[in-house]
Amino acid sequence: MTTTQDPVVGSSGKPAAGYKYIGADRKRVEDPRLLVGRGGYIADMKMQGLLHAAILRSPVPHARIDSIDTSSAERIPGVVAVLTGEDCKAHMNPCMNFGPPTIAQYPIAVDKVRYVGEAVAVVVAESRYIAEDGVDALDVEFSDLPLVSDPKAALEPGAAPLHDEHGSNLAYERTFEFGDIAAAMEEADLVVSDTLHWGRSAGMPMETSGAIARPGNNGVLEVYCNSLNFSYLQFLVAGALRIPSNKLKMQPVAAGGSFGSKFTAHKVPTLTAFLALRTGRPVSYIEDRLDHLMNSDHHASDRYYEARMGLTADGMITGLDIDVLDDYGAYLQFGTGTHGNALSQLTGPYRFRNARYSLRAALTNKCQQGAYRGFGSEVHNWVLERLVDQAAKKLGLAPEDIRRRNFILPEEFPYKIPGGNLYDSGNYPAVLDKALGMIDLEHWRKEKARLREEEGRYIGIGLATTQERSVFSSTEFWFWSDEPAFPITSSPESATITIDPAGAFQLQLHCQAMWGNSPETVATTVLAEEFGVEPDTVNVSYADTSRALPGTGPGGSRFTVMVAGAVRGASRKLKKKLIDIAAHSLEVSADDLELVDGRVQVVGAPERSLGIPELAGSAYFFALSLPPGMASGLEESHTYDHPYTTLPAADRSDLGVFYPIMGHACHIAVMEVDPDTGQTSFLDYVAVHDAGTVVNPKSLGGHVTGGAAQGLGSTLYEELAYDAEGQFKSSTFLDYLIPTANEVPPFRIGHVETPSPYTEFGIKGGGEGGRMVTPSVVSSAIDDALAEYGMHIQQLPVKPADIVETVQNARVDE
Amino acid sequence: MTATEHRAAAADAANRTITLRVNGREVSRTVETRTTLADFLRDDLDLVSVHLGCEHGVCGCCTILLDGESVRSCLMLAVQARGHEIETVESLSADQNALHPIQEAFAEEQGLQCGFCTPAMVLRCKEIIEDGKARTDDEVRHEISGILCRCTGYQNIVNAVQNASRKLGGKEAGA
Amino acid sequence: MKPPRFQYRDPDTLADAVALKARHRSDALILAGGQSLMPMLNMRLAAPAVVIDINGVTDLQQITRNGGVVEIGACVRQSTLETDPLIREAVPLLARAVPHIGHIENRHRGTVGGSLAHADASAELPCTAVVSDAVVVVQGQNGRREIPASSFFDGFMTNACADDELVVAVRYPVTPAGAGTAFVEVARRAGDFALAAAGVIAEVDGDGRFTRLAVGVAGVASVPLRATDVEQELLGRPVDPATIDAAAERVEAAVTTGDDIHATSAYRKHLAATVVSRAVLAAAADARNGGNR
Repeated sequence: MTTTQDPVVGSSGKPAAGYKYIGADRKRVEDPRLLVGRGGYIADMKMQGLLHAAILRSPVPHARIDSIDTSSAERIPGVVAVLTGEDCKAHMNPCMNFGPPTIAQYPIAVDKVRYVGEAVAVVVAESRYIAEDGVDALDVEFSDLPLVSDPKAALEPGAAPLHDEHGSNLAYERTFEFGDIAAAMEEADLVVSDTLHWGRSAGMPMETSGAIARPGNNGVLEVYCNSLNFSYLQFLVAGALRIPSNKLKMQPVAAGGSFGSKFTAHKVPTLTAFLALRTGRPVSYIEDRLDHLMNSDHHASDRYYEARMGLTADGMITGLDIDVLDDYGAYLQFGTGTHGNALSQLTGPYRFRNARYSLRAALTNKCQQGAYRGFGSEVHNWVLERLVDQAAKKLGLAPEDIRRRNFILPEEFPYKIPGGNLYDSGNYPAVLDKALGMIDLEHWRKEKARLREEEGRYIGIGLATTQERSVFSSTEFWFWSDEPAFPITSSPESATITIDPAGAFQLQLHCQAMWGNSPETVATTVLAEEFGVEPDTVNVSYADTSRALPGTGPGGSRFTVMVAGAVRGASRKLKKKLIDIAAHSLEVSADDLELVDGRVQVVGAPERSLGIPELAGSAYFFALSLPPGMASGLEESHTYDHPYTTLPAADRSDLGVFYPIMGHACHIAVMEVDPDTGQTSFLDYVAVHDAGTVVNPKSLGGHVTGGAAQGLGSTLYEELAYDAEGQFKSSTFLDYLIPTANEVPPFRIGHVETPSPYTEFGIKGGGEGGRMVTPSVVSSAIDDALAEYGMHIQQLPVKPADIVETVQNARVDE
Repeated sequence: MTATEHRAAAADAANRTITLRVNGREVSRTVETRTTLADFLRDDLDLVSVHLGCEHGVCGCCTILLDGESVRSCLMLAVQARGHEIETVESLSADQNALHPIQEAFAEEQGLQCGFCTPAMVLRCKEIIEDGKARTDDEVRHEISGILCRCTGYQNIVNAVQNASRKLGGKEAGA
Repeated sequence: MKPPRFQYRDPDTLADAVALKARHRSDALILAGGQSLMPMLNMRLAAPAVVIDINGVTDLQQITRNGGVVEIGACVRQSTLETDPLIREAVPLLARAVPHIGHIENRHRGTVGGSLAHADASAELPCTAVVSDAVVVVQGQNGRREIPASSFFDGFMTNACADDELVVAVRYPVTPAGAGTAFVEVARRAGDFALAAAGVIAEVDGDGRFTRLAVGVAGVASVPLRATDVEQELLGRPVDPATIDAAAERVEAAVTTGDDIHATSAYRKHLAATVVSRAVLAAAADARNGGNR
């Protein structure tokens, strides 16, 4: 099968209308250094006298720590220190935590262990080899506590509480109802319902989390790490370490992928900083893959649903009723933000007005939960699309028809959904039509019947859509609570542009340093658009927290939109200064000047112009040539706040606008299923995305295919499994199965561009959509292939054994 | 044997001096015998393009060429490389401003995002092209399946291998 | 994930390797391709006092044919079997099975003897040895022993080597002219350990009846199995899909691997029958096409 890159609507390899750089398939400015193996990752940093840490992780799921004998380890030559939870209790505060304060977490377990893999003790030594020798020499005695493994059982009376201070294992409970769900179900001609389980997977980047901490000059602790979201981390980490925030300098280091796994990943830098403080020496802690698999900063969603949808006889959705029990694991570090993402696109691309969302978060003896591409909205979309598929089948409607008749129409935007979030713009029929235009469904439907008849093969066709919310507002972190401790409303991004005395551009970003996305390509593309200089001539750097302007960092597909706003804002300020200098030099009005291709020129008389190097020379060295009152230098910064967010209502009847930049996607998959082995393969796969104005089609396409591959992983292969005894069963890459190039099909990509009215250039986020729809479309295609056996996927990942079991049971029934 | 001699013998047993060729140059170093080849390349020779993704031989990010064949450098001891020829991605080009055609093909096709699997993929691409094994996209997919990429979904890597193959005068794959 | 301390020994000769193994016995582990031992060392699941690296023993790197037997040295790399003309012609089942072992980067280092000694019941080479009635040659301080594959694999991840012995070679009978071979494997992902795999050598007469059949199954018990019930059922019967399907179900009774996160026991039973059936059919088709000749 060959793969074609379908022409991009409005920007097929060429810039979007009116732009020179935006919308063109340009090479990424990040790539040359990565291609020669100089990505500058955390493990690549070398430092004089650097010590290395290794961690003893709990072999038991729930136990009291009776004693830790560190003496043998401490006698090993090269071992410098052994630290335990006792040291944490004595010298630090609990880690940053968006959950209830009654669920405290330290980077090393204090008194109790609550899941297999939780840190019990840390050995710091002259090499990682020796540190691991030290870990081997530790002797720990545990007293087992009753296991809490099943989230339903966790909430039963009498279940052993994980956190005595919290009282029960119910970490959080809330029900939101928007509209009238009882009436919606009452008026429905058909109510479909389902019991669904989305199993645990995780972002699982090829590079693990890591940090290096060094006691620096003036009592400043320097922390280098690949965690994202510094502006949230820094002062909270300082608080945990009991040091003043201005004495903790965090320096972003490039990350080898995150996908949510490094989003606000605080425990690794907090622990490493603590080790440096305790030993007074530079310390490196880089997770190995075992650390990362069983403990990492967090696993992702693990949810049990009872879901209902009401519809009229002609397929119009009347309401959606969701009851979700979330198996959060042992701690609630990020609160319930992953459900806020679900609420941001509660009703999907559909027009109905009644919805109920009931959440219970249970504490169990498993690793804590956090972000993974989609941030919980992908789970909700799978549930929503499972119900739509079921309804279509029962109503005799084609999957494209039931969706089309429920779509919000292009003229209805901006559209406020039940719950209060707002969709900025969209053209869902256009996306569907484009997808249908890229694949001949009628052909495949005939072929499916023919292959079944003539060759005994099982072909299935799946079609699904997703909303792709982007650009989160931080209000989503707290609207779950009636009395939030910290009702933050800011989620800005900043940029600083400097033109040096020779006229060369420096661009400083105030966020995580390169995590696999293309922050430098996007930022320099915008800068190029503004100044007419080539993107790869701009030098990009990242501010450390001692210098950083307000920022938020990547997450929730916000970065492209936000950095574009920040760079454009700073560009405008800097252009004004250039033009003012030129106006003064050329003795013309600033209104008569324009900046074209790196030169400031008189409108209509381009021969009267000054180049940026000449203007830079004036700005730095010839103060007497500057306009009166103007200061020397050429540097401007801009902080770009969220383009559109509103406060939730006090009674939470409306959650406000918190995720309004709304993309959309439609995927269609043709799959073949082997009913006797449960193996699946793809015969075709089409993915059409609308992420507003496309900055770089090839980059966006890469994110779609990468996300879709991860969605495929969560659907068919990847599982962070615990057995009935609470033991972790996925502790190596022989058991946690990331799709290889063999498993991932060629995706044929199409783009539709519906610009956002609220963002610079009309850009929307596009980093997550690939993963948000693949689970739905693959589930749908497998069900379709084996419809005659009553295949109905209710649990992910769906494994070959599940498929064969369904087929075999149906054959026995015959 | 005296106690001193005993200690010396033990130290000798724990360390070994090895000589090998790395990226075309002969190097000689004393290493602890338990040191993995990957750690030796990263820590002793500063070839940090050799990335450690799993250290149990599955992810492939530490892939190097040993006497021209791709192997997992986390699954060898450094002492086992004595007398052998090793290539890391730096052997193609270590100069960001003068990329090798294979590296250039990866840049053109955006066959990378975070860059962590990239040196391994580039080396494997070199081997695939030299072997002349992979022609179709499906064959390329199979040949690169020993290296995990978490970012790209592989399509742009397949495109990069094909592009590199054209650049180096190989037959158009998939044709 | 770094190896623990151990003494590293790298003998140049087989005699030295055997002497070292005899001296250190179970305190020593043999390092050949390292594709199984190195992960265990890195994860510290193995902590041998001594590691004996046999990669320098050139005697163990030969493939030779003596009449009706092909002898493969313990240190022959798995990737060699994929391309070696002698192997492709004389033991075609090996050439078919080997590409299923891990990925090429593993096979470039992984050795034949290492895989056999590791004795993983879901691995490909032990399965081919059992199907082929291969003989594993081991050597200890008292000399050589030849152990039939059927008794070499004597339990979960264990083999019949004494603690002073190491695997030095394996002998595969040359596949008869005209015999067909097939290797069918199902794994979660290509390159993973088999959930179930079947290796088959079949001879079919002019009437389309099985005149000889050897069926081996990997991944479904503590050791690689011979599906003798299936072999006996089909011997003399025509090559007919329904007949083969029915006979293949006889393998289900031998499946003892329990549930794990990748497969249920019930699934493995069905899968074992499925891969046996498909492999028998494919081997028969190969035989009708003349097999390796």
